[in-house]
Amino acid sequence: MKYDPTNPVPPQVIRRVGMDQVPDHVPPGLIRQSGLVFGPEFLADPYEFFPALHEKYPPVYYDVGPFGNAWQLIKHEDALFALRHAEYFSTEDATPFPRDPEDYFNFIPIEFDPPDHRKYRNIVDPFVSPKAIQGWEDRIRTLANELIDDVIDKGGCEFDEAFGRPLPVLVFLDLMGLPRNMCDTFVEWAVALLHSNDRAIMGQTMALITEYIQGAIAEKEAQPLSEGLISQIVHAEIDGRPISPKEKFGFVVFLFIAGLDTVFATLNNIWLWLARNPDRRAEIIADPANIDHQVEELLRAFSVTFSGRTVAQDVTVRGVAMKKGDKVTSILPACNYDPDVFPNPREVDFHRPKKIILAFTVGVHSCMGAHLARMEVKIALQEWLRRIPDFEVKPGAQIVYRPGGVIGPEHLPLVW
Amino acid sequence: MARVTYIEHDGTSHTVEVAAGESVMRGALEHDVPGIIAECGGGLACATCHCYVDEAWADRAGTPTSQDERDMLEMTASQVRPTSRLSCQIEVTEALDGLVVHLPEAQY
Repeated sequence: MKYDPTNPVPPQVIRRVGMDQVPDHVPPGLIRQSGLVFGPEFLADPYEFFPALHEKYPPVYYDVGPFGNAWQLIKHEDALFALRHAEYFSTEDATPFPRDPEDYFNFIPIEFDPPDHRKYRNIVDPFVSPKAIQGWEDRIRTLANELIDDVIDKGGCEFDEAFGRPLPVLVFLDLMGLPRNMCDTFVEWAVALLHSNDRAIMGQTMALITEYIQGAIAEKEAQPLSEGLISQIVHAEIDGRPISPKEKFGFVVFLFIAGLDTVFATLNNIWLWLARNPDRRAEIIADPANIDHQVEELLRAFSVTFSGRTVAQDVTVRGVAMKKGDKVTSILPACNYDPDVFPNPREVDFHRPKKIILAFTVGVHSCMGAHLARMEVKIALQEWLRRIPDFEVKPGAQIVYRPGGVIGPEHLPLVW
Repeated sequence: MARVTYIEHDGTSHTVEVAAGESVMRGALEHDVPGIIAECGGGLACATCHCYVDEAWADRAGTPTSQDERDMLEMTASQVRPTSRLSCQIEVTEALDGLVVHLPEAQY
């Protein structure tokens, strides 16, 4: 029977957590406890942890940990295969946010495969295409400069609070068609949902977000079609019928979860590296024509997240047999340090031959916000380095990473 | 508007209307033409919207417009031929009304 997207139901899933729940088909020699994303080695320096995986670990291993057991893929080629073959690697149950089974919804579009997937992407793609995003350039540049205006004369700032967080959140609000005065509230929600590591706080926050999104959907429904993504979604048609309430909600909430934290973490990572590498800052400033490659290389070196799948039918990867129901995670930041594709991977090299990077995944579910993210990183680099070319991490400041699905230093105090 | 004909590797042909200013890639996705994946959405970052411009249209559709397109064409899954392009980089204009592109056997 074909799945009805207007009346979603939870999938049957197998959850395995801990060493006593390793299935029999996993060879004991491939079991690891990597400590991703919570172990001391990872938290000490994630961007040393990822390249080191290629030196210490087999290319495919079964990771056992408190957040769930899963195969982990660290080879670029293997992640490309997994992300491009939904017939083996399904997105079902691959997005780790709890939902009420009695009032279930799908995260859209990620939880649908082609051809249905394309119907949802067609609603929003025209607004996030490279051409559409070019139309945002002036607005983002103005915003970046306003944020810099607020701190430039102070001799320092909490980069994450002053720039890394508000820049992408304000752009996201504009893109969605939501009021900018929600910025502080959205930041609070994002922090509580993604960084509290407290299920009670996450649950309460999800309830607040749900209420807000339902209100925003009702408001956009009552108004004529406008440019913001929420308006486009609530007024859309799927297969000639109006999009259903469950689809509207699942689509908007997924954009919310996906849009708030990733560019933030990316900016924090890049600015930490810039603060510690004055000669590399100078190199970027001296070669403005190469900005697109500089952005791409920094996205390669500082990718922030992972991509989970569920095995849909038995499959063998690099000689390793995986069974239906197994969880698989493509460790995107590690794949971007695969020495077979990116020689001397620890070196940030702005003149590498262009290759497919995995910052935004690949396959049909490749990140729809990728062009916006690239534009935000590019403008942030250009404007910040133009106005504050020299800066460093505040002396004595501790750079701390917290466990979580999006990687970046929690705070980044800078001085100049 | 321009009519664009996409011919799949097995010979199946799809003729659709594409708005001027859109890319040949977007035209395929919006009309459910199989054979164009376009996983990066037009960012010159994936090489999965590869097409072969029909010989008769090669001059009008033009050659790769950037070094990034040439670099990405080295990463395609199917053989590169003299009229290979990334379809996200071909902008549809009235002058391309009637354009024919052939789709490769595989995009990855």
